[in-house]
Amino acid sequence: MVRLLVLAVLAATLMVVDARFEVLKPVRSQLGLVLMPFYGLADLPVRLWDGINQQFSSRSELLAENEKLKAEALLMQRRLQKLATLTEQNVRLRELLNSAELVDEKVLVGELIGVDPNPFTHRILIDKGERDGVFLGQPVLDARGLMGQVVEVMPYTARVLLLTDTTHSIPVQVNRNGLRAIAVGTGNPERLELRHVADTADIKEGDLLVSSGMGQRFPAGYPVAVVNEVIHDSGQPFSIVRAVPTAALNRTRYMLLVFSDLRSPEQRASEAAQAQEAHDRELAEQAKSPAPSSAAGTAPGAASAPAPSAPSRPAPAGTGGAR
Amino acid sequence: MGEHNGWLIWASYLAGLLLSVAPMPGFMEVGRPLWLAMFITYWILAVPQRVSMTVIWLLGLAMDVLYGVLLGQHALTLTLIAFLMLTLQQRVRMFPLWQQSLVLLVVFGLAQLVQLWLNALAGNRPPTLAFLLPALVSALLWPWVFTALRSLRLRFNVN
Repeated sequence: MVRLLVLAVLAATLMVVDARFEVLKPVRSQLGLVLMPFYGLADLPVRLWDGINQQFSSRSELLAENEKLKAEALLMQRRLQKLATLTEQNVRLRELLNSAELVDEKVLVGELIGVDPNPFTHRILIDKGERDGVFLGQPVLDARGLMGQVVEVMPYTARVLLLTDTTHSIPVQVNRNGLRAIAVGTGNPERLELRHVADTADIKEGDLLVSSGMGQRFPAGYPVAVVNEVIHDSGQPFSIVRAVPTAALNRTRYMLLVFSDLRSPEQRASEAAQAQEAHDRELAEQAKSPAPSSAAGTAPGAASAPAPSAPSRPAPAGTGGAR
Repeated sequence: MGEHNGWLIWASYLAGLLLSVAPMPGFMEVGRPLWLAMFITYWILAVPQRVSMTVIWLLGLAMDVLYGVLLGQHALTLTLIAFLMLTLQQRVRMFPLWQQSLVLLVVFGLAQLVQLWLNALAGNRPPTLAFLLPALVSALLWPWVFTALRSLRLRFNVN
């Protein structure tokens, strides 16, 4: 009896400390290091089965898949060619505007290693953690759209809260007209709901919702969901808007962790302005000095605003994992 | 440990942890049996002198880390289950299996309610009383778990 009381009080204390303070975070993270292999171990039969299946999938199937992938790669390459010119154009225009918004963020590919066993929460475990530079609140997306954000970081693993969890909300805007709203998870993996959308707001079925970047947590412009139902009920103060997430939240095995620019927009703008100024000064000096120095002779587009020219690792696109 | 063959108990604890995170089809996830609690209950009924509350508390902490909930939630409920079963142990071990199942249903149901309450305090309130389903599933599975563990215990002579 005494032991029960002691242990119960200890548990209660731990809970309060864990909920209110940050002291236990490192302890939890270290415990996670020891315990997370359980997820891998529990997942092993599934993996083995997949592996065996792949080993024995017939040759014709492989050939067909190969054909399909080649065709897909060709299509992607065509799109990429166009994208290259567009990106360059975009960078140039942004430089002209003195704004240094990131055109392409750095990403890291993570693999799903477990789904939260509690059926009432939508969280997943991925195989990238603190050692890979994953941080709290980091946005996670798959090939089709935003998936969620990192809520717990352990040394080699991390826990991701999905968009559809009841405790999750994300600021979005309608791609068609820029109407802003908050998309809240409903606990149903195929549904988000928009909060406080006025009855007269211009929103209709089929509208694409993209992240607006307002909360400064998710990068702007990634697809989040597609509106599939708008209900106008005259008895309700707001219309009910339901949307389906574009990301395959419960099917994706590979996902991208985005390292976006953490500077605030003002900081970014001022830094870009400074860089532009420095660049202008450099150009002016160059023009003054009679002999063109070899070092400064680079193309003018390559020297200025820091952010766009910041090397962005090419995203090893998660298309292969989307099946 | 040596002659008591206590390693089997530890192995069952590890298996319990493993089973509680094993992937399951979505519709069955709601009724995931409380494997660890069942195994602990079995050892309490069979060899109460080999079961330590502190170890169970630590196992609960491990569950908390695995499930990503507040540290102490599962520790509390598992200790509660262990305490109740240790108190009832002398009577329950005499019951036929189906009556043991009923006792388990009540005890696990209580533990799940505490869990529900703690979850609500932590802010993730599950929408329904479906939270009690694991207790029911565990109670239904109990006769098989009991038989399997008993045959294991007799083979390895755990005492």
